[in-house]
Amino acid sequence: MMARFTALLALLLTAFAALPATAQTGPLRLEITEGVIEPLPFAVPTFVATGSGGQAAQDLSGLIAADLSGTGLFREIPASAHISRITNFSSPVQFADWKAVNAQALVTGSVDVDASGRLTVQFRVWDVFAGQELGAGQQFVGTQDGWRRIAHKIADQVYSRITGEGGYFDSRVVHVAETGPKDQRSKRLAIMDYDGANVTYLTDSASLVLAPRFSPSGDRILYTSYETGFPRIYVLDVANVSRRQLPTQDATMSFAPRFSPNGQTVVYSLEAGGNTDIYTMDIGSGASQRLTSAPSIETAPSFSPDGRQIVFESDRSGGNQLYVMGAGGGEARRISNGDGNYGTPVWSPRSDLIAFTKQSNGRFHIGVMRTDGSEERLLTASFLDEGPTWAPNGRVIMFTRETQGEQGQAGLYSVDITGRNLRRVPTSGGASDPSWSPLQ
Amino acid sequence: MLFGGAFTSEPLDFDVAKVIAVSSEEYAAIVARSNSPEQTSEIAPLAAPDVPQDVPDLSSEADTAPDAPQPDPAPEAAPDPAPQPPTSTPQAEVTDEAPEIQPPSQDMAAMVPQTSPRPQQRPAERVAPQQVEPPAPDTAVDDVVREQAVPDEAAEMPVDEGEATAPEAAATEIVTEAEEVEQAAPLDSIRPKTRPQQLRPAAQTAETAQPETAQPETAQTEASSDPAPAPATDTSSVEDALAAALGGTAEALAPSINAGPPLTAGEKDGLRVGVQNCWNVGSLSSDALATTVTVAFEMSQDARPIEGSIRMLDSTGGTAGSASQAYEAARRAIIRCGARGFGLPTEKYQSWRNVELIFNPENMRIK
Repeated sequence: MMARFTALLALLLTAFAALPATAQTGPLRLEITEGVIEPLPFAVPTFVATGSGGQAAQDLSGLIAADLSGTGLFREIPASAHISRITNFSSPVQFADWKAVNAQALVTGSVDVDASGRLTVQFRVWDVFAGQELGAGQQFVGTQDGWRRIAHKIADQVYSRITGEGGYFDSRVVHVAETGPKDQRSKRLAIMDYDGANVTYLTDSASLVLAPRFSPSGDRILYTSYETGFPRIYVLDVANVSRRQLPTQDATMSFAPRFSPNGQTVVYSLEAGGNTDIYTMDIGSGASQRLTSAPSIETAPSFSPDGRQIVFESDRSGGNQLYVMGAGGGEARRISNGDGNYGTPVWSPRSDLIAFTKQSNGRFHIGVMRTDGSEERLLTASFLDEGPTWAPNGRVIMFTRETQGEQGQAGLYSVDITGRNLRRVPTSGGASDPSWSPLQ
Repeated sequence: MLFGGAFTSEPLDFDVAKVIAVSSEEYAAIVARSNSPEQTSEIAPLAAPDVPQDVPDLSSEADTAPDAPQPDPAPEAAPDPAPQPPTSTPQAEVTDEAPEIQPPSQDMAAMVPQTSPRPQQRPAERVAPQQVEPPAPDTAVDDVVREQAVPDEAAEMPVDEGEATAPEAAATEIVTEAEEVEQAAPLDSIRPKTRPQQLRPAAQTAETAQPETAQPETAQTEASSDPAPAPATDTSSVEDALAAALGGTAEALAPSINAGPPLTAGEKDGLRVGVQNCWNVGSLSSDALATTVTVAFEMSQDARPIEGSIRMLDSTGGTAGSASQAYEAARRAIIRCGARGFGLPTEKYQSWRNVELIFNPENMRIK
């Protein structure tokens, strides 16, 4: 009886729903919860050249496209597939031609080199399928030898307008450049563009140097040197390469320094009497403060972007684990809970994640976790990965990877925080210990 | 004159626009200003630090052979004597009796089978709801799968030759370098056991098997004797019928101007899949991936979206900037995949003329 009633009710409801005039009285409403993750196709036709800007136009367009493609978020549509040609920067864009080749974003521009050698570059970004401009057109003026920087700045603008977050192309990386065999390796500080171009050496190879770290404004670099026989912390001015040693105590070792977000304080590790703890020092006055006092080894401290917390590694519970404490010291809470040893934690500039090195089952990983230790994700796996550093926008991580064997060499790699787009950063020789600058 | 006072005329409406006359030179200047980029930034080249370019001295002295005492020359070895062949070849002893094979003991430890890695997805540049195998090397990549078109000489109208297309390879989730490989499927199987030496007599087996085969019949009889259980889905079946008739909870009907026979679930899924195949969130920021946007648009009768009608109705979970980015991605998806039409039934046009799509990227954040 009940079953018959149910069937009848269903029939009535179905018939009721099928009535033409009263069946559906609103817009069709659907929820889309699944999409695709793939590089967004874009086109950068060679910028229109005026004056003697022909070569510069080609170089600029090529570098902008390379910057965007290198993120893994974008895919360049090659010029051979273009239907339209941009011959005039001010002419209307033929969106249908760019839709036909599935270009979803389009970058147009012009390059002019005047008689004095000044380079003027204009560009626009277009949303092809919306048929409208993304943001406003912009112009950069500079010297011809600064064309790479102009290209990086334009690529940053394009990246920002499409993704909604800042770029990282107009940035630099300080690292330890390595030459020579593994057992007799010479090391010196070097600085380069994020893509490996424009390498400049900052120190000589007379003494061992380690762990360079950029200041928040990018004008200074902290690093550790064995110049005196003991590890000591130095501050180097990037503009004139002048340096000075931070005050220290005799018969101690100080290392693993990092700037605070305001650039006035340094947090570092100091070993004295066989015990390693974390200290802070005011750079101006040289006054230091001890933050930890456990008998275990506390090292690799890193400030949160708001300057209120410090993440560090410690072996106080046996193996190396990650802990977070207040910027003034005090009780620390453990945030890493997985198997293996954790080290070299670095707080993301976006405050949401902490990158770290993990050793587990004989392999090294670069990973990320939430600041409370949840949602741990391992991004890489190799014989030796270590020392992560964040891109200014918190989207990419650069780290050191060393290959196995006597001929093994250290190199720099970058990976997206999703684990995609793992690629080697081109360097002329061995390289390790990278530190990414802020946007310039 | 007679009716002059009765038919008074109302003054006609008219608009007044303030016009400024400009010369052609001034107009050209205004147009040129609107065409030129608005912001100008001076880029100063980075001053290279004045560094003494110290080239590390990596030269080393040439290796010299160590002075080691030379060993005395070994005495000449005496030639080996020639081997003597055996005088007679021993004959093998052959018997007609088969050798006795010792069966393995029953309590022999089982070998742990070697296992292969659990099958994993190949890393792909594209992450999509459905996994797609890589297309053939010569196949063009396209959203639509098409067989290669070959001109048919017998046909009245020659068919244009067209290349076969296939969708790009896709994985359902991001596969990182650090993915652990789990052991699962066995690579080899254990050698089967030998047959027992003494089999039971057939009759005895039949006797022992009989009660076992009879048991199900008894059970079946018992089961059939039980009264039929009351249908436990009475309430839920009513709810199911209601849900089916109303088309599901997620697709609730909001008051609007559509009026027509409803789409079937399959037709709705077709539209949903059609849009999600073009909804690319790969280049969205983290904030935009935390923003849900509701986008409304109108469609023409050939089931193509009218671009000018696409608008954002609502957004939740993000800032105005992230909502704008999320909306742009949603709009691109609607326009791109709607360019060929969504293939909806024309007779139900009034049901899908106005569409509201809720783009919820929650699932995409954890891919």
